[in-house]
Formats: sequence, C-alpha cells, structure tokens
Amino acid sequence: MLSLTINWLGRQLFGLLALLAVFVLPGCATYSVGIANVEHETSERNVAAALKALDKLKLSGADQMLNYLNKGTLLRFQGDYAASNQQFESAKRLMEMLSATSVAEQTGSVMVNDTMKAYEGLGNEQLLVYAFKELNYLQSGNVDDAAVEARQFDIKQRLIAEKDTSATYLSGAFVRYLNGMVYEEAGESDSARIDYRKAVDGYAAQSGVTGFGVPAALKADLDRLETPHASSRAVPARKLGQVAMQLQDTRDNGEVVFILHNGLGPSLAENNVMVLNPNPQNGSTILSVALPKFVQRPVPVARFELSEGSQSASSEIVEDVNAIARKSLDDRLPMITGRAVARLVVKNAAVKETKKKSENAGAAGLLIGLVSDVGAFASERADTRSWSLLPGNILLARLSLPAGTHNLKVNFYGSNGNILATRDYTSVKVRAGRKAFVSDYYLKAN
Amino acid sequence: MIAKKKAWVMVAAVVAAVILAGCSTQVKRVGVEEVRDISGTWNDTDSRLVSEEMIRDSLSGGWIDRFGMTSKKAPAVIIGNIRNLSQEHINTNTFVNDLERAFVNSGRVDVVASKNERGDIREERVDMDLNASEASRKEMGKEAGADFMLIGSINTIIDASDSEQVRFYQVDLTLVSLADNRKAWNGQKKLKKDIKNAKFR
Repeated sequence: MLSLTINWLGRQLFGLLALLAVFVLPGCATYSVGIANVEHETSERNVAAALKALDKLKLSGADQMLNYLNKGTLLRFQGDYAASNQQFESAKRLMEMLSATSVAEQTGSVMVNDTMKAYEGLGNEQLLVYAFKELNYLQSGNVDDAAVEARQFDIKQRLIAEKDTSATYLSGAFVRYLNGMVYEEAGESDSARIDYRKAVDGYAAQSGVTGFGVPAALKADLDRLETPHASSRAVPARKLGQVAMQLQDTRDNGEVVFILHNGLGPSLAENNVMVLNPNPQNGSTILSVALPKFVQRPVPVARFELSEGSQSASSEIVEDVNAIARKSLDDRLPMITGRAVARLVVKNAAVKETKKKSENAGAAGLLIGLVSDVGAFASERADTRSWSLLPGNILLARLSLPAGTHNLKVNFYGSNGNILATRDYTSVKVRAGRKAFVSDYYLKAN
Repeated sequence: MIAKKKAWVMVAAVVAAVILAGCSTQVKRVGVEEVRDISGTWNDTDSRLVSEEMIRDSLSGGWIDRFGMTSKKAPAVIIGNIRNLSQEHINTNTFVNDLERAFVNSGRVDVVASKNERGDIREERVDMDLNASEASRKEMGKEAGADFMLIGSINTIIDASDSEQVRFYQVDLTLVSLADNRKAWNGQKKLKKDIKNAKFR
C-alpha cells in the first residue's frame, strides 16, 4: 500500500516537474529577449509591425510601465503625437503611484527575483518622458502644453535629485535645454534663461560620465538671454565649431530645430554565476546568482547635416543615453548584488528544509528535492528590464531660415565620415522669430 | 448527502457572486457640488470655486455701472486667451464658460462670440446668403463689436519634497477695454492644497 502511494506521489511530482519545464522556464525568458522583435521591426522603420509585436508581449502587471514607455515611443515615431502623449501620461501617473514602496514586491524581490517588483523606470528614463511629451506637443504646435510639461519636469527632477544627491548625471540637462526653448516659444524668457543656465550646469556636471560638455548652441542661447546687449552676440556661429545656431538674431528669420533619436539605447543581459554546491543535501544542488549586465548597442549616426539650399547646420550630441544608463547601472549594482546574495541564502535555506522533510519519502523524496532544486535555479533571473526603444543618444541641429515653407535635406554620416543616408523633409513651415521642431529616428546600425 | 451538496452549491454561488461583483464596473451618481479630491491635482471643485468667486466679483464690481453711465448701454465682452502657466494641464473652459453664462443670464453684460466660435457663424451666414429665404436671411457686416476682452492666466507654485506637496494656484482674470486698453476689472482667486502621498502601497 505504502509503495503504491509513493509511486502515485512520484508520478504526480514527475508531472509537476514536466509542467514546470514546459511552462515556467520559457516564461522566465528575460525581457530583453522578448522585446528583440519589437526593436527589429522599429529598426526596419516598420512601426505598425513593431506595435503589433509589442502588443503580443502583453506587458502588464509589474511590466505595465514598459508597455506605456515603448508604445509611447512607437506612436511618436509614427507621428501620432496625441496618442503617444496619452501613453506617456499614463506612464507618468504610474510612476507617481509606484513611487510608494510595496512591501509585497520588496519581499518578492528577496524571495524570488527582482522582476517581482513593478518597473517604475530608471531616473533618466523618467526624466526623458517629459522631453518626449514636450516634443510631441511642440510638433503638434501646442506650445502652452509643452510649457506645462517643462514646469512639471522642474519638480520631478528636483525629487529625483533629492533621492540621490551624488547622481549629478541625473540633472536632465537635455530636458532643461529643451525646456529653455519651450519657454522661449511661450514668451517666458526669464524661465528660459533659468533653464538654459541649469542645462549648462547639468551638462558640465555630467561631462565626466558622458564625455562631452555644453552644446555650443546652448551656450549661445544662454549668452543671448543673460547679456542681451553684449557685442559678442555678433560672432558668427560657425566659428564655434560648425555648430548649428546662427547667432545673429534676424527678426525675419525663424529656426528649424531638428532632433534625431540615434540608434537603440542600452540593453541589459543576464549574467548568471553558477556554482555546484559541494554538499547538495544541505541546500540547492546549484547555487546561482543572476545579475544584469550592460550591453551597449552601436549608434549608427556619428553626425548629421541639416540643410536648405546653401544654408546648413551640423548636429551636436545633446543626450548620451548609453553613458548615463551605464553609470546608473554601475551605481545600482552593489544594491542589486546585495539583494541577489540575500536571495541565494533564503532559497538555499528553503531547499534545504524541503529536502530534509522529504528525505524519508524514497523516490518521491528525490523528486521533491529535484523540483525544489529546479525551482530555486529557474526562479533566479536578473532584472533586465529597461525602456528598450530609447535612443543610444540624441543629436540636435538648429538652422536659422527665413519665414516661409522650406524643403529640408538631412545627410546622415557614419563614424568613418561616409554618408549613411539622405532624407528629405518637405513643407516645413517656419515663422519669423519662432522655432519649428522636426524629428526623426535612425536606429539601424548597418 | 443531498443537504451537503446543496450547501456546496450555495457556497459556490456566493463565492461566484462576490468575484463577479468585484469584476463589474460600478457607477454612483454624486452631486456636482460634492468635494472629491483624489490625486490632489486641479479638479472640478477648484474650477467651481474659481467660477463662483469670479462671477460674484465681476457682477458686483462697479465696471458695469461705470460703462453704462458713459455709454448708455450694456457692455459687450469677448472671451480672449486664458493662459495656462501652471504645472498642470488645466481646462480653463469650465470656469470661463460659467462666467460667460452668468454674464448673459444677468442681462447686464452682453457676450459676443469669440474668435474660435465666430468662424462657423460667418460660414453659416455665407451659406444663408445662398440658400435661405429673403425674409430669414441674415446680412453680413452687422455683428456686434465687443467693448471689453476677457483675458487671464493660471499660475501655480508647487513646493514638493519626498511624498509631500503644497500646491498653490492663482487664477487672474482681467477685462481690458478694447477702446483704450484700460483694465476695467481684475478678478482673482487663490487656492492652496497640502497633499501627502502614501509612502507604502
């Protein structure tokens, strides 16, 4: 009777093990693997297919934020600015909600893995949401709403900086720069001056991380607003190193601001460290710790040139998403490692206890031990989530043009100075004394 | 045995009812004056408080009588731009429409169609010219011109740290004479909120 019962129990456990292998393990595929198809379709400029691929991922629950962020980006690429902003607004609301600590999620991250925590977006990702919302509004011709985002950003950035005072790279320098332009468009030159100043300070503070300093066009903007009557404003922009901004402020001219999402931003891969337990009866057979590791993708465009007829402007790098993400991971890694080690101890103790309790159950006991071993190993996954469709970096060029409708041309250059592509942007309306915002993306590295 | 089965069925029915009730959308009608602050951002109560203050102040201010004494007619107002200079996406139409309604219903102030509204009306008049009967057709060039333009702004100051925020809103509305740019009336409403967000969820 007893052997029959053990056999029955063994069959049930074997079934359970098979189910675990079939359903649980594939489900444990990391986020960065799942999102690859979305990235591929986007790189091919097939946004509709990318949106479908994103929907297929069914990012919800703890991953809901990733759905909002990536969908917002895709809709922006598609030129559906209103729908894009709906997604980004949902992301902002969720960020606010997730800023409160969940005890259950914290416990889950120590018991199972870090993906049990709802993804709230990294500091720099949260700041960039405001930039994209602003750009969506600007490209819809809605300056006042863009200015609302700029004002909200001011509070958000302050709260993020308050949490980690040493993270000077989280100054949101690019967003500040953009805010300055938004405020100027809204006719709030004092606010513009303040944000240009903060942008200059932010770029200087993060230069050790990004490797570049203050964009020359930004310096010129700040100079123009801080010393409006200074003679230095007459210096032609080209002397500042082929930089976009035409400093002479001709009243009949407007300006085209061209922003490029360049390449795909960082991806995180799983770095799984495994060690065979010399004494497997006293815990897991395999001791494993999974940590995220940084994977930088190449950015295809080294620079671009924006032109109309004989007028042209070269791009400047204004945001290095890769460098900031790398630094951010480096800063977070000690904490992530600490949690992973704590998890290892907890799981090992649990497996040890299970094995101890089932050691007299014969074949069934062996299976129980095996299941608990597999469970502990399979559940150890690194949190590789990130806003995948962020660019590797952002390039910006500004070209002063007479008021009217213009057909623009952009030459994209690779790192060897070769032309990667030429794209035309027709019927761009430029109004005197105003800025016209145009954007595009170039993700494919070949 | 049958009694046991019945008990199980009843338990299952109760559980199902509870689960299904949790899944269904629930709608409860509430009075428009009921104060319900959920997130702490601008809401219907703020808009209503602004409307009430602006209506009371504008209709009791002396500008209507002063204009009546010199012009011997009711002042005509056109709604201009109310700029949102706050940190929130605020729909200003709610309290501006309330004020407009109060002007019209008071019988003491005329309101003429705004820049955005009159396009359709002019289009209709052009259409009438072609299609309406002679007796009912309305001529062009007989629109009432405004004496004052209502302009204004919403400004905010937000002081935030960790999970606490103090939000201060200031709504300013001004009636500017279209004849000489003089400001005939200035209305103002200030609102302040202390918001504490949950630290745990």
